[in-house]
Amino acid sequence: MSQFKLSARKSLWVGALAVLLLVIVSGCSGSKNDPAPNTAAQPGSSQGTDDKSTDETVAGGTFVYGRPASVTSFDLHNQITSNNAFAIDKVFESLVAFDSKGEIVDWLAKSHNISDDGLTYTFVLRDGLKFSNGSDVTAEDAVFSLERHLKVGGPLAISAKVDTVKATDSQTLVITLKEPYTPFISELSNFSNGIIPNNFGGVTEEEFFKKPVGTGPFVVEQWDPAGDVTFTKNTHYWQEGKPSVDKLVYKLIEDDSQAINQLKAGEVNAIESLALQNANEIKNGADTTVVTNGSWVTEQVFFNTLDKHFSDVHVRRALALALDRDGLTKALTFGYAQTANSLLPTTIPYNANDTIKALNFDVTAAKAELAKSAFPDGFTTKLLVASGNSTRAQEAQIIQAAGKQIGINIEIESIELATFRERFFAYDFAVMLNSGQADSPEANSIIAFQTDPDGFSKSYWTHYTNDEVTKLLYQGQKTADGDGRAEIYSKLLQTLADEVPYLPLYYPDILIGARSSVDGLVVLPNGSVRFEDVHIQK
Amino acid sequence: MKKFWLFSVVGRALVVIFCVITAVFFLIRMVPGDPAKMILGEYSTPEALESMHHALGLDLSVGEQYVRFVQTLFTQGDTGNSIINGTSTRELIADRAPITLLLIGMACALAIVIALVLATLAATHKDKLLDHVIRIFPTVTLGMPIFWVGILLILLLSVRLHWFPVGGVGEGWWGTLYSLTLPAITVALSQIPTLVRSLRAQMLEVLESDFVITLKAARLPSRVILFKHVLRNAALPTLILLGVNISYLIGGTLVVEQVFGIKGIGSLLFSSISKRDFPVIQGIALYCAVSVVIISLLIEILTRWLDPRTKGNP
Repeated sequence: MSQFKLSARKSLWVGALAVLLLVIVSGCSGSKNDPAPNTAAQPGSSQGTDDKSTDETVAGGTFVYGRPASVTSFDLHNQITSNNAFAIDKVFESLVAFDSKGEIVDWLAKSHNISDDGLTYTFVLRDGLKFSNGSDVTAEDAVFSLERHLKVGGPLAISAKVDTVKATDSQTLVITLKEPYTPFISELSNFSNGIIPNNFGGVTEEEFFKKPVGTGPFVVEQWDPAGDVTFTKNTHYWQEGKPSVDKLVYKLIEDDSQAINQLKAGEVNAIESLALQNANEIKNGADTTVVTNGSWVTEQVFFNTLDKHFSDVHVRRALALALDRDGLTKALTFGYAQTANSLLPTTIPYNANDTIKALNFDVTAAKAELAKSAFPDGFTTKLLVASGNSTRAQEAQIIQAAGKQIGINIEIESIELATFRERFFAYDFAVMLNSGQADSPEANSIIAFQTDPDGFSKSYWTHYTNDEVTKLLYQGQKTADGDGRAEIYSKLLQTLADEVPYLPLYYPDILIGARSSVDGLVVLPNGSVRFEDVHIQK
Repeated sequence: MKKFWLFSVVGRALVVIFCVITAVFFLIRMVPGDPAKMILGEYSTPEALESMHHALGLDLSVGEQYVRFVQTLFTQGDTGNSIINGTSTRELIADRAPITLLLIGMACALAIVIALVLATLAATHKDKLLDHVIRIFPTVTLGMPIFWVGILLILLLSVRLHWFPVGGVGEGWWGTLYSLTLPAITVALSQIPTLVRSLRAQMLEVLESDFVITLKAARLPSRVILFKHVLRNAALPTLILLGVNISYLIGGTLVVEQVFGIKGIGSLLFSSISKRDFPVIQGIALYCAVSVVIISLLIEILTRWLDPRTKGNP
């Protein structure tokens, strides 16, 4: 036993001294009840001239939006991923756009006209349209923008065979096609067809995209490609009085739980891509809410049709019949999704979701179907899933259980996202879980991507090849909107439902977590959000 | 002889640094995942991918890439420009380093202060209830994963009590220190257990040594003996232990940055790994390896200087 002792009083003194030191070092003395000092992240930190207003909602202020990935580029013709797309569409706008219901509306064009033969598209620009630097927008700018896109191509290339793009006067643009292509008008609504100044406004291409100038509601003020983006209001915006907020901050929060906690604590006004399993927690929170809209996404099971087991249509059908898609959707999506019958989400025209005869849950029929295959006694296979997505992990387990009922032993292989992508691009999988998403409100968008074996995605890397389906795909592209087109897609989707190269599971909603004090968020079906009408209540 | 020792130690350090970044170079390339695809997205065309590969030098063989990497290392003094945004790795890291260093500094300071208090109380109350309680504390905290501790602290002190910001870094030096308090406590908690153990053991040893008994016989106030003689003698091995633990400390800080949404080196590393931004990953590995090696080197020199007995066997 130690012969050396500090008296109780002295040890108290030592403790107090240490606590004092701790407080000094950590710098939290006396500020425990102060609000967090990062004022930029405080909702309702109004900076506009309407600060004195006693109205419940006030104009001005800063809107902070938490996002899981940083903006790495503003080059609209070279980008496709949502981290960049949803920033690009704040700066650049297209001639036509889509609204929250996915309907095409005139945007920078005040009107558009398509000739009866489907070959000539005429757009008339709005009067007094200006870029964010104050210069006028002319039809020449639109010619330059579209020609650059045709030249660059990029991941969201214009698929129509464009013959000429001409300005007939300063406000009129005429595009002629070599052959009719019905999806063209909706493709033009993509952010990638936004209008930029002729010749990049006199600067180099590189400089331009570092400080982009567009017609959108926001202007890039500060941008860290590995961090946050701060936008300020475009004072020349063509929609008068919009946007309502002075600043929009895209705050990078890579960790999901960090994002949810920042939302709950009021450090951000809203967060992008809320996970389904967190939706109700945020919806029922005292100060938080969920803003939703139907999406253009279809969650699917993909079969590699080059795989020895899944090249057999009976095997694919057997697994489809063994899976209770309704049950899976109810169990995993907390009411924020709809069971899928066809490849196309119900938000997209011609989806035929009600009329398609899908292979519904029937274990007896599944067993009978497997008996018809080359593997009547079952087999062992692997299901590829990207890790880090708990909903997908649960889906995988349900699919595994479904397979077991009919003798298909499914091992789950969960790997990191970048590796997952490499694997399916190389057809190095038997079955995988993934989703498909349309880029525009057009049936052709997903269908072309998932059924064209000669396209670069090779039927979404399933390598599914069916000449009849490919023929219908091209017919659909050339047929003008109407019953004829509906019939084509209905036939095509029924064939896909019968042959199941991929099994549509459900159409998830887009979920944006927001503070209850936020009004006017417009959620688009592609997952982007319009902030023009956003108000923050005091 | 003395100079030769220093040369051999520094030479060894350089070899270690080079081995670390070479290993990182090859390991990260063995992991599937294409930076060009990260830039262009899943639906990029083969042509676009090909030209991106060429632009990034990824169409070269791994061997050629390695030669290029070594050349860049010697000519530019860093690991090249970021694949994702073209900025030089050195700039990117220099931009993020201050916040990480501040966090490490705060965590160290907190760990030392708390460990000092706990160890002093434990040593002076040896085998009493207080000593037992303090000795249980390290066992408990060592068993908890650091990120989990961070999440618990956030839920309790930020989301529920609103005492601290949930994440990010505040404005101004005061805001920065305030917002780093919770992350610093989290990192410190991972260091305290070993420090308390070491310091307590050292203090007990010193307390029972002959010179303390002599000082006590000379009727020096116990406060003076404790702070002037015992702590001074017991602190050094503990500081050395903290130095030895520096790699754990850096590793822990990088994880905690992610949990608290702090845009330091850790979050840069995580996002670079997910984007397969090779030069940045190598750059961070380089700087971390250099820091760990330099600190280890300093500790080695310090120990040798303070304790002449180690001079015979470098």
